Amino acid sequence: MAAEKTLKLEKNSLHQDNLLRIENLTKIYDGSVKAVDDVSLTVAKGEIFGLLGSSGCGKSTLLRMLAGFEVPTNGKIFLAGEDITNLPPYQRPINMMFQSYALFPHLSVWDNIAFGLRRDGMAKEKIMERVESLLKLVQLGKFAKRKPHQLSGGQQQRVALARSLAKQPKLLLLDEPLGALDKKLRESTQLELVNIIEEVGVTCVLVTHDQEEAMTISSRIAVMSEGSFLQVGTPDEIYETPNSRLIADFIGNVNIFEGVVDEDLPDHVTVKCPECTHYVGHGITGSSGMSVGVAVRPEKILLSKTKPKGKYNWCEGEVTDIAYFGAHTTYHLKLMTGMILKVQQQNRTRNLEGGFTWGDRAFAQWDDLAMIVLTH
Amino acid sequence: MMIEKMHSFLKPYLTGRQFVISVPFLWLFLLTAAPIFIVLRISLSEMDIASVANLWTWAENTLTLKINLSKYLFILHDELYVKTFISSIGYALENTFFCLILGYPFAYFMARAKTHLRPMLLMLVMLPFWTSFLLRIYAWKTLLEDNGVINNFLIWSGLIHQPIQIMHTQFSLMIGMVYAYLPFMILPLYSNLVKMDTRLLEAAADLGTSPWKTFWLMTVPLSKQGIIAGSMLVFIPTVGEYVIPELLGGPQTLNIGRVLWDEFFSNNDWSMASAVAIVMVLLILLPMAIFNKYQSKSYEGITS
Repeated sequence: MAAEKTLKLEKNSLHQDNLLRIENLTKIYDGSVKAVDDVSLTVAKGEIFGLLGSSGCGKSTLLRMLAGFEVPTNGKIFLAGEDITNLPPYQRPINMMFQSYALFPHLSVWDNIAFGLRRDGMAKEKIMERVESLLKLVQLGKFAKRKPHQLSGGQQQRVALARSLAKQPKLLLLDEPLGALDKKLRESTQLELVNIIEEVGVTCVLVTHDQEEAMTISSRIAVMSEGSFLQVGTPDEIYETPNSRLIADFIGNVNIFEGVVDEDLPDHVTVKCPECTHYVGHGITGSSGMSVGVAVRPEKILLSKTKPKGKYNWCEGEVTDIAYFGAHTTYHLKLMTGMILKVQQQNRTRNLEGGFTWGDRAFAQWDDLAMIVLTH
Repeated sequence: MMIEKMHSFLKPYLTGRQFVISVPFLWLFLLTAAPIFIVLRISLSEMDIASVANLWTWAENTLTLKINLSKYLFILHDELYVKTFISSIGYALENTFFCLILGYPFAYFMARAKTHLRPMLLMLVMLPFWTSFLLRIYAWKTLLEDNGVINNFLIWSGLIHQPIQIMHTQFSLMIGMVYAYLPFMILPLYSNLVKMDTRLLEAAADLGTSPWKTFWLMTVPLSKQGIIAGSMLVFIPTVGEYVIPELLGGPQTLNIGRVLWDEFFSNNDWSMASAVAIVMVLLILLPMAIFNKYQSKSYEGITS
């Protein structure tokens, strides 16, 4: 009896917290191409959820199914507990900010924003009020009468955002929201976008191929490949504890040593690789003799001219490439096995003396919690 | 070769750019502007039985310029001409309207058809052009006559016992006109609709617009350029159309083309015919010029 009660309670709380629930969603094109393959997901209220993946991974198809432009081959979509799988786009309380915006070219900024409100048959004064407040929110009050083509890329982006927020959707979909902007503008717009979304408090699902964009904007990310989720987690979880070689390689830069588990103890393991022996300061789910990959991020490696003490977690090589980025420098170290080790060093001092140059011998070392052991 | 020779001959006078521009200009001048001026001149001259009188004469050290406006005044005062102009424009408007309501769905479905089907559909629209225009209009005669295919079929099927009069009515005229000019409406509409950004339609749907409303609020306004281009291509030539009213229209059909023909070939009154032609050109040009001016203003908004 008591157990049943708690179960019921859990179900109830699930309903309240999860705004969006996707169950076994599948989309098959032309009878055989699986664009989205049996995907399940829950998104909590107020969350900004990022779908990250390279082009063709199915993220856009998934977003289009949420918007209602594509009919799923299989599976269900629930919004606030209600099954919306078969609702047409114009009946869903979901709005989308389109890639490169899709602003209506024949309508002014004002009319673009008011478009959705008018369809709802809202009273004129209320529309006035709402549009004015949105124009204020995106700081475009002066541009209300302009046509979209008379605006800059950044301004168009804000019109698109205002238009998608106008109807106070339960869920906001963002399709590559910053994709059409240049790099400098992107950084400032990113923060602005997050501020506005947080101010409004709307739940978002965001699609992007840009991992930086996904990491900075999203509270949780799903990495997609070939129609399914490889890993779902917070940005730092995905970066620091990727669950596969694919993810480790896809998100950020990484060096992967291939080796075999030697000692396997609850508090540490050692992995023997041709380049060096790794001492990993935590236990893993595996056994000795198992082949694994040991991933080390370039920024977690320290480069020095003196040979490190101890027998673990260092290797020696020759500097073959130097890429200077201003804030940091990336060195390519050729190890004796031929493996190229990427090392990133902060340029803490302006003094460039004492740095490394092409052909230098150098020692790379890292500590025993810097590594990720990848079993697949 | 020829052009190169011409160019080397003109080189001292014209730069390459001026030469290139001068070719179409010369063409337009010789085949459009000059003929219109000749027609204008004839319309302002007196008729000497069967030849056109000179506009000016030089006698006794006096240059006499005689501009004869009587034909124009006659056109304005004679009820028949005014009626003819009105009815011609009426037919042209009616034809444009029918071509638009038939052509728009046609072009729309062509533009939304699967990509590999589109060339074939375009071919089907253009197929009639492979046969002479005149032959195709004649072919309609054999269909619409009292003893034609349609009447014979209806009698055979027992729906009617007497042939119904289709030929030489307003109806047969409209069938011929719409049939002949429909492709000119479909082609510009198609080329406009096929380029339309379908994401705009999705955006409209996303903001709560039903498909039917999306059509009126997005597709139609966004295809305005195509509607205008198609309507112009149909309206302008149908105002002065001669062959179709002559072959398919009834005896009561009032039409500028036929009036022109009569003035030239039956009455031999060249200046009257020219005056009618000039008025017709003005009637078409003026609204177009006004329209263009308005158009170029709003055009800036959509294309750039």
